[in-house]
Amino acid sequence: MSLQKNVSELLEAGVIDRETADQIQAYFQAKKAKSGNRLFLVFGILGAILVGLGLILVIAHNWDELPKVAKTLLAFLPLVLGQGLCGYTLLKRKDSVAWRESTTAFLFLAVGACISLISQIYNFPGRVDSFLLTWMLLGLPLVYAMRSSVTSLMYVIGISWYACESGYGSNWNGALLEPNYYWGLLLLVLPHYGQLVRRHPGSNFVTAHNWLIALSLIVCLGIVTQEEVEIMFVAYFSLFGLLFLVGDLDTFRSPRRWTHAFQILGSAGTVILLLILSFDDFWRFLPQRMSSLGQVLSGPEVYVAAGLTLLSGGLLYRHVRQRGWQQMEPIAPVFGLFVLTFGLGIFVPIGEFLIDLYLLVVGVRIIVKGARQDHLGVLNYGLLIIVALAACRFFDAELSFVLRGILFITVGIGFFAANFWMLKKKQAHAQS
Amino acid sequence: MRNPKLLWPAFVLVILAQLLVPGKMVWDKEMVRIAGTEYKFRTAPFDPRDPFRGKYIDLSYTDTAIEVENTWLWGPDDVVYLEFSTDPDGFAQIESYSKTIPTGTRDYLLAHVEYVRGRDSIVEIRYPFDRLYLEESKAEAAEMAYRSALQNGDQTTYARVAIRDGDAVLQDVFIDDVSIREAAANWVED
Repeated sequence: MSLQKNVSELLEAGVIDRETADQIQAYFQAKKAKSGNRLFLVFGILGAILVGLGLILVIAHNWDELPKVAKTLLAFLPLVLGQGLCGYTLLKRKDSVAWRESTTAFLFLAVGACISLISQIYNFPGRVDSFLLTWMLLGLPLVYAMRSSVTSLMYVIGISWYACESGYGSNWNGALLEPNYYWGLLLLVLPHYGQLVRRHPGSNFVTAHNWLIALSLIVCLGIVTQEEVEIMFVAYFSLFGLLFLVGDLDTFRSPRRWTHAFQILGSAGTVILLLILSFDDFWRFLPQRMSSLGQVLSGPEVYVAAGLTLLSGGLLYRHVRQRGWQQMEPIAPVFGLFVLTFGLGIFVPIGEFLIDLYLLVVGVRIIVKGARQDHLGVLNYGLLIIVALAACRFFDAELSFVLRGILFITVGIGFFAANFWMLKKKQAHAQS
Repeated sequence: MRNPKLLWPAFVLVILAQLLVPGKMVWDKEMVRIAGTEYKFRTAPFDPRDPFRGKYIDLSYTDTAIEVENTWLWGPDDVVYLEFSTDPDGFAQIESYSKTIPTGTRDYLLAHVEYVRGRDSIVEIRYPFDRLYLEESKAEAAEMAYRSALQNGDQTTYARVAIRDGDAVLQDVFIDDVSIREAAANWVED
């Protein structure tokens, strides 16, 4: 209404002509229809997922009164219904994203409900990993046949759950399946993700995939661990470096900061690992743990770490070539520095000091970056790194209370002053 | 999928697979249930929960040890094929074991090694029927009924299991020849 009123007012006042007024109205009407479609999509998907999950819960009740045949038929009912709905979508509503996404999400969950009800009826042994693997393999083709991104998101969650069950779970319920199938299962969904990134860059589905795939990789990388836990720190640093640098590629750039899943997770992960390794526990036992080269080379960890480091190294080279050393992102080279520090730490006890130094440099460089970009969030992130570093040293540094106190007061004043200065600068900028 | 010619055949294949895999599960278990040999295994249940499949009784069994000659040949999670006979009380007992599929019989079970007690030359077996799913309202009562049976001391709990071609179907759990579902219902009424 108010738009109509405003346009009429502008038209009467002679600010715009009739043609422009029509164009404005047509533009906003099209936008309104688009947002209506989006709502339909969101509620369609939510509805389908809720009904599907509800079905699983109703089935979990395990109706004793029903005879076996009725229970078995009931297990197949949602599955056949879901298949029918997907078939109808392919026939009649092929171009409607809302229909494709919601019917496929329902069918995907119905497959899980069917298998779980059958394993309940016949008292299958308690193995969640084999159940998840069967479910995911039967659900995956739907991602491609129906071009469904919600299904591919649920698939990523499912295979991550599988990896955690078989990789980190206890085997008291029976021998676990091979957790490393996860990597193959993840590869199978990447063509869909790649297509999504190419065709709809910056869309919400791409953002959701970025977050889930990055989180899945972070959670599941640990499944390769056998004996050499220390090497996995190198692997994780390189994974975080890789995520950060992938997020820096043009494809994933976006003005909306919360969509930067790779960069946010890569950066936060790197900083958290640095903070953990700024204590001396890790470095004290490192020379002893790395004494047998033969043993280290016999495990898979070293090859995973080397592979990830090489990949990240390649991207870092590209990053530096594009931007030059001066403009390099502060987080970008940390994984490489850690590899050097790790190697050095085996022979010389200076690991924790170097890590302190990296944290300090990274923190300061992020503060400078935030100040240059006039971005309060980035500035405070840098300050937070410095505060976290100071807090960690508060616990273990052999400094007097007076010195620690002064350190904290300085950081606190710095925090206040930097924010105050930035806000003033913004105000001045707004007034001018 | 962008190629419209491939779309329908692919979709049909997907839905067939989605029907066939659970269908095959049902078929295999029905074959064991109908044509398999039924044994009674002495049990000891308790009551947890599964995120997908609801409430169940977790079962462990009393006769799970086999004495072997060379324990170094066995390791956790190894496959073992078992043949059973019935003891004078009518309960299953392991008659023979082997690392290969027994020939000339379909009445054998594929199980796994739980752990090996080298000093006693004992291999502990894990049977592939460790869960009985119950209606969610009955699981707690079933456990109570079971505990009360244990306190009485003179009651026997056992699982009835059909076995065929290595596969097994757990039919029911009994407290003194009364199904645990009935026992649970009676226990609530008491």
